[in-house]
Amino acid sequence: MNRITLRFVAPVAAAAVALAGVGSAQVAAASNAHASTPTYTIAYEGPLSGGNAQLGLNMKFAVQLAISQANAGKTFGKLPFKLKFLAEDDQGSATQSPAAAQAVISNSSVVAVVGPAFSGATKAAEPLYHAANLATVSPSATAPALATQGWSNFFRVVADDNAQGPGDATYVVKKLGVKKIYTVDDASAYAVGLVGAFDAKAKQLGATVTHQEAPGTTQCQAGTGNVQQYGALATQIKGSGDPVTFYAGYYCDFALLAKALRADGYNGQLMSDDGSLDPHYVSEAGASVANGTLLSCACTNLTSSKVDTTFASQFKKLAGFPVGTYSAEAYDATNTIIKAMEKIGAHVKRSALVKGLHKVVYAGLTKTVHFQPDGNIAGSTVYIYQVKNGSIVELGPVAKLVG
Amino acid sequence: MCFTQNFWNLVVSGLADGFLYALIAIGYTLVYGVLQLINFAHSEVFMSGGFASYFILNAAIGTSQPHGIASVGFLALGTIGGGLGGAVVAFLLERVAYRPLRRRNAPRLAFLISAIGASYFIYNLAGKEFGRNALEIPSPFTNGPVFTIFGATVQTVYIVVAVAAVIMLVLVDRVVATTRLGKGIRAVAQDAETASLMGVNIDRVISQTFIIGGVLGGAAGFLFGLPFGVVYTMGFTPALKAFTAAVLGGVGNIRGAMIGGLILGIAENLGVACTQASWRDVVAFGILVLVLLIRPTGILGEQLGRAA
Amino acid sequence: MSTVAPRVPLVRRVWRSDDARRGFACVAGGLVLAVMTGPSGSGTAPTSGFTGSLFHVRVVGFVLFGLVLWGLITARSRYSSQVRAFSAKVTAAPRRLLPDRRVRRVVYLAVLGFAIYYPTILNSFWQEVLVDQIGVYVLLAIGLNVVVGYAGLLDLGYVAFYAIGAYSAAYWTGALPIHPLFHLNPFYAIPLAILAAMFAGVLLGVPTLRLRGDYLAIVTLGAGEIIQIVATNLQGVTGGAQGVIGIPHFSVHLFGIRYSWGLDSLPYYYLLLGFVVIVLFAFRSLENSRVGRAWVAIREDEVAAESAGINVLKYKVMAFAIGASTSGFAGMLEASKISFVEPSDLTVQFSILILVLVIFGGMGSLPGAIVGAAVLQWLPQFLRIHPLFGFQQQDLYMYLGALLIVMMIFRPEGIIPSRRRKREIGLAEHGVGHADAMGHTSGPVS
Repeated sequence: MNRITLRFVAPVAAAAVALAGVGSAQVAAASNAHASTPTYTIAYEGPLSGGNAQLGLNMKFAVQLAISQANAGKTFGKLPFKLKFLAEDDQGSATQSPAAAQAVISNSSVVAVVGPAFSGATKAAEPLYHAANLATVSPSATAPALATQGWSNFFRVVADDNAQGPGDATYVVKKLGVKKIYTVDDASAYAVGLVGAFDAKAKQLGATVTHQEAPGTTQCQAGTGNVQQYGALATQIKGSGDPVTFYAGYYCDFALLAKALRADGYNGQLMSDDGSLDPHYVSEAGASVANGTLLSCACTNLTSSKVDTTFASQFKKLAGFPVGTYSAEAYDATNTIIKAMEKIGAHVKRSALVKGLHKVVYAGLTKTVHFQPDGNIAGSTVYIYQVKNGSIVELGPVAKLVG
Repeated sequence: MCFTQNFWNLVVSGLADGFLYALIAIGYTLVYGVLQLINFAHSEVFMSGGFASYFILNAAIGTSQPHGIASVGFLALGTIGGGLGGAVVAFLLERVAYRPLRRRNAPRLAFLISAIGASYFIYNLAGKEFGRNALEIPSPFTNGPVFTIFGATVQTVYIVVAVAAVIMLVLVDRVVATTRLGKGIRAVAQDAETASLMGVNIDRVISQTFIIGGVLGGAAGFLFGLPFGVVYTMGFTPALKAFTAAVLGGVGNIRGAMIGGLILGIAENLGVACTQASWRDVVAFGILVLVLLIRPTGILGEQLGRAA
Repeated sequence: MSTVAPRVPLVRRVWRSDDARRGFACVAGGLVLAVMTGPSGSGTAPTSGFTGSLFHVRVVGFVLFGLVLWGLITARSRYSSQVRAFSAKVTAAPRRLLPDRRVRRVVYLAVLGFAIYYPTILNSFWQEVLVDQIGVYVLLAIGLNVVVGYAGLLDLGYVAFYAIGAYSAAYWTGALPIHPLFHLNPFYAIPLAILAAMFAGVLLGVPTLRLRGDYLAIVTLGAGEIIQIVATNLQGVTGGAQGVIGIPHFSVHLFGIRYSWGLDSLPYYYLLLGFVVIVLFAFRSLENSRVGRAWVAIREDEVAAESAGINVLKYKVMAFAIGASTSGFAGMLEASKISFVEPSDLTVQFSILILVLVIFGGMGSLPGAIVGAAVLQWLPQFLRIHPLFGFQQQDLYMYLGALLIVMMIFRPEGIIPSRRRKREIGLAEHGVGHADAMGHTSGPVS
């Protein structure tokens, strides 16, 4: 007797069971909009699991908060519609993102999306959103290329890398009066774009730039590099004698580099970007290392400034953890969408909302949101921060500081 | 040359890396010696050692800032704690993931796959239980430049790593060369069947081999975690490098693993000076491939049986 | 052993018996499962995960589960002959039918018909998943199956060839910073991408396949890492970490046929299905050809094969290159479908995942590779929507790792084993042959 039966019946049976599961799991589109006030859904797409989950959760709860406040009539008064929230997980990955986008698009009550959170995920999903004429407002995707693809439905409430990099370079060269700069990036898409813009501007202003690439490490979220690289890197930076080291990347690796530099006796000024603008930088590097570090962001950070303490406290109540990177941007993105919907009235269509977002002006927490025709935010200001006595303090916008 | 400017600096930091590679590499080499098996999950033994020392030192030091002799005591405590943590995980690993296969005389492919599975299971479980952010080991001393030699800055942590590693390397070399336990390991490595006929309890020797490797790997996890913190993914790259080091020195050869580790550490650091830091892994793998192609038995040859 | 000298006290006799050992292992397994599915801890409360899952009523369920498992295993070992006889009786009728060629053909056609029809009634989310998460992985698993299953080699850098396929697509369509002599639609670049991946396979294979099997694993692992580093760092060539955007969709304009693939995922699904069917036929006939027999000979005894005049290196390289080209096609298809390639997706974890799919399904078994890939890739998506037993997406690789160990201990031949492979593993365990191409057998016999 042979076992051929099992070899061929089993796959068929398994496939049938699997696919039957797929069928039953189909997401039914919510369409209970027959009541007098219609219901619309604002979706969020970003990483809710995987190595970048924390960044995604920072945004998810902010979107949720903005929606529940609007429903309660706190933000815009009484609205002619009810809002619902939908979160889709894309793990921050380009290959997971199209499926998440399809899940959002196939839900006919969705009128706008906050996200996708990551640039790579946006590049993969945006063609689908564009085909569905569904507006996406990203709180965090900063790759410059996103605005040049002709996606009329693409918006973002953060400045792209081309804005932040030159702002930082201007501050270093003009305000600090430094002519030699050492720049390091973590080889992530975000940092490479940022450091490229920084280097170009610094050179244009007459400084010499030495550049090194040190990939984000396995010690930090989703990194691949070897953490021991920072020993050799610190040696080289110290050997160069450059008075300023600019790091493009995220706080976790920046903290490791900062510690390695100080342990090696490097006394120059450290500076980094909004990826490092996080209290974790101070806690992981230790206050003695972190003090004096300059940080920058094309945003007003809530943990340090006076802008809004009620947002911070309500966020914490909802999420169970304090506001983090991009929370305020996600909150602004959501409120901008709601504002545009309010202008349209009770009957919101996806296409009308895209048009509405091109015209909307909304005074948010981080800035006044107004989009350029390509979806980039108009008039972005880069703010400089500094670590003082173990906490991050805002110094002010670059333009003002340089004077 | 591109590295002449910082030559001695790079050699010093390379030595510090190299000592860690050597400690981890011995775990690979010993296990390979007795089982002819690459213990893929050794990276997680290293990681577990790091976490064990984190918990022990957190309980012992807390937020205080020790000085002088207390610092040395805490360092010893951390090293021993890391070693114990590594040993426990290595022992369990052998019991759960390898012994059932060995009993069945399973194909070698099965061992490798089981090892990969164990590695993924352990480190992701650690990520789930201890969070996915790096945790700072409370430092028993303040790190900083201590003195300079040939213009190279020597940091406190380099000295700690070098001293701890040298003590352990000498110890393990003597244990394998002179003790009854070492004799058993060498006998099994040379010819397991004959050894078992001579009354050597093979299962016990294999367990002991894993434990020795685990102690060194776990202690290395502590020494690595001191400056960098511990996190669930910390094992992968250093362990891969350590494996390279083991092959470089001759897999199965204890002294080879030590020499291979040191050479790899220095070569990597000098290599980085000539390229970008991001090419560091390419340098290490380039060395591995070259060694495998030119001299697959490594610098000192593969012979645990005749190590002493 | 259960026959212990009668002088040994009862407690110790029970304690040392196989039954007790098994019972202990089952309960321990249940507790591990309780921790795996229990709440997560965190850096600030590192023990909360353990206490939350072990000092909680739910642990009773897991211990009971372990005990029930123990009972089943014990019963099975006691009544194994009866169980076997019963299952033989139940499956007797279909077993008689299936060797019949016509019956088999009908089954194949039914499966194919189902595979063609079923996706049309799915919503766009599941259609997308069917291509991005299932179809591509089925193809990858079939390809790696040639390397791991047929030739018995462990390739841990399978992602390298996927990357080469994806970047080939980008290169020939002019999306990379460096431009080719002439631009091609990715559809016409398919042969070029496959050739590029195959060439890379030969290039990596020729020097490394001479090595011992476990060295091969490490070198391929390194190659996979290096591909990611190169893709990230050579910004002028690959576009660097920001990836390559704007890879066009496939389109055909041949013999009066004009068709363009677009954003819709179904056409990609059918393209993939067609390719999978072709590959299946090709690999099946390969398996039964001289090449396939050479692989069997190498797996069973490399030295004997060599002395019988088989060019071992040639056949190993061949398997490697065939696997590589399949992976290259998958990479190219995915790159063209989402119009984008990003180095951060090209991880070692990706290679390991494909390996898990092959092992789970059954090494050397084509239906195994397909079902293994389909089930394991579908399950996380399903659990994402219906989280059962506290499943969390970020713990996926923990479950997969555990699955690998369990498979290796209890069912190394996979869920749908290849008959030949199963026999080899059995033989190897009785000291005949190796069942892989890793060189000599492992370790001491105890």
